[in-house]
Amino acid sequence: MRDTAAGDGAISPARGGASIRVRGLSKTYGRPPRAVHALGPIDFDVAAGEFVSLIGPSGCGKSTTMLLVAGLEPMTAGRVEIDGRPLTRPLSDVGIVFQDHLLLEFRTALGNVMLQQQIRGLDRDRQRARAAELFARLGLVGAEDRYPWQLSGGMRQRVSIARALVHDPSMLLMDEPFGALDAITRTQIRHDLELLWLDTRKTVLFITHSIDEAIGLSDRVLVMSPAPGRIVEEIRIDLPRPRPAHLGDYPEFARYARRIYEIFESLGIYRFR
Amino acid sequence: MNIPGAQSAECPSRSRNLQRIAEPLLWFAALLLLWEVLLWLLDVPLFVLPPPSAFLWRLVEEQERLLLHGLLTTKMVLYGFTAGALPGVALGYLIARSRLAERLLYPLAVFVQGLPKITLAPLLLVWFGFTDLPKVILTALVTFFPMLVDSAAGFRSIDPRLYYLARSADASRWHTFRHIELPSAAPSIFSGCRITVVVTVTVVIVVEWLNSNNGLGYLVLRAMDAADTPLLFAILVVGSTIGVALAYAVDLTERLLLPWRRR
Ligand SMILES: Nc1ncnc2c1ncn2[C@@H]1O[C@H](COP(=O)(O)OP(=O)(O)OP(=O)(O)O)[C@@H](O)[C@H]1O
Ligand SMILES: [Mg+2]
Repeated sequence: MRDTAAGDGAISPARGGASIRVRGLSKTYGRPPRAVHALGPIDFDVAAGEFVSLIGPSGCGKSTTMLLVAGLEPMTAGRVEIDGRPLTRPLSDVGIVFQDHLLLEFRTALGNVMLQQQIRGLDRDRQRARAAELFARLGLVGAEDRYPWQLSGGMRQRVSIARALVHDPSMLLMDEPFGALDAITRTQIRHDLELLWLDTRKTVLFITHSIDEAIGLSDRVLVMSPAPGRIVEEIRIDLPRPRPAHLGDYPEFARYARRIYEIFESLGIYRFR
Repeated sequence: MNIPGAQSAECPSRSRNLQRIAEPLLWFAALLLLWEVLLWLLDVPLFVLPPPSAFLWRLVEEQERLLLHGLLTTKMVLYGFTAGALPGVALGYLIARSRLAERLLYPLAVFVQGLPKITLAPLLLVWFGFTDLPKVILTALVTFFPMLVDSAAGFRSIDPRLYYLARSADASRWHTFRHIELPSAAPSIFSGCRITVVVTVTVVIVVEWLNSNNGLGYLVLRAMDAADTPLLFAILVVGSTIGVALAYAVDLTERLLLPWRRR
């Protein structure tokens, strides 16, 4: 059983992950003469329960893609379908981890997570139990009553992941969730997220700058070109799960990584001599 | 669960609090003493500048009247402040959230701010006579603009992505306001309150002084008629005590309502 957040007409696909289908999606911010063509057109699909990463240079439109898929920004052209239904309003059966955590500074860690319950009007006791479970899984026990400024960067990211998961959405959108973290914390959080995903099999669209992270987590990696971003390559990652901390153990890892570097080089993103 | 170390930090912070109160008090007492001695040495007449002993004694003698009129003044301050702060915050919200509201309302608010408000007092007397309305209206006018500006700044400073968060959770307008907008703007609103509330004491006293038959301003008038300078000083003491107490009340409310703020 799961809580349904949605009112009438809201999109709440079946449990276990929703599918995403994106066709001809593009976005231009603002109006001429100050219009900024930020994205696309792009096409991609994410199957139900799949973990897909979007990797690309800064400013190529990754965050924009996420906002469009969540129905939070109007698209300029194209369409997005969630479980086969066209997206016409903000998606509510979704958990979003925003770039640099976006916690409410006036709420404790637990308060930030319980925001979902309050706004969505979910059952309080059940949500508390779920929050406690997530805090345990994410190594946040003892941090419940601390305010964001009393948490380390890694803990803040973990809290914001808990906030994105507590209402048990069928889709998770993550925008550089580990961007600001040190390498050690990143590797651990990546592993924790992978285990969590293996248990729940939510559909994940994961945005990152990090080639290691993309390969370490994904079923597929979509590589984007510089702004206005397009998807230039799709790489299927066939590595066993859960994946180890040191990905270099796999010869395939080096191949995947080299492939992505080559694409970036051919796009002029890297200019090494 | 608590922050590690919070418990052990309790005691030193309490004694530091005591020190924070004791230090200015001692400093004040020393100043009064100096004042007393200087006047005694220079032989200044009582009606020009009374020594602390004289006006403090007057304070005790007149405590009943001072208390009565002081409370009346405080009441007017609270009424007027509330009457100005609530619309100030409401319009601050509108202006922050809507371009149209900003274009229509902001010039009006600036105009109100530009009015030399004290000159409205005689006009208000003509309209409302010896009622409480002139005091309340004038105080509200003085409170309104700073509260509007501070709360608008608070509502504007909200990370726009928090609205994405709210919309993806299907939040109603009320929930968005209650759970995201209002608490985000609260620190700015409180800082507006803290600055404004002290000024409003002066405003009420001035209006009472111009036209009223009660309040500290009215007492000022009576003291002047009687050339009772020590009483004037006693009123001054009461007036500034009200100001300090109100500012402290704002601080205390903020501490209670916004426990998350770093200190
Ligand atoms: N609200 C906005 N208004 C105008 N332009 C915008 C807006 N948001 C993004 N842009 C522009 O759109 C382009 C893509 O931005 P976006 O944030 O999607 O990039 P990104 O790939 O997420 O970059 P990063 O990796 O640095 O986060 C950029 O050129 C950016 O300046
Ligand atoms: Mg981004």
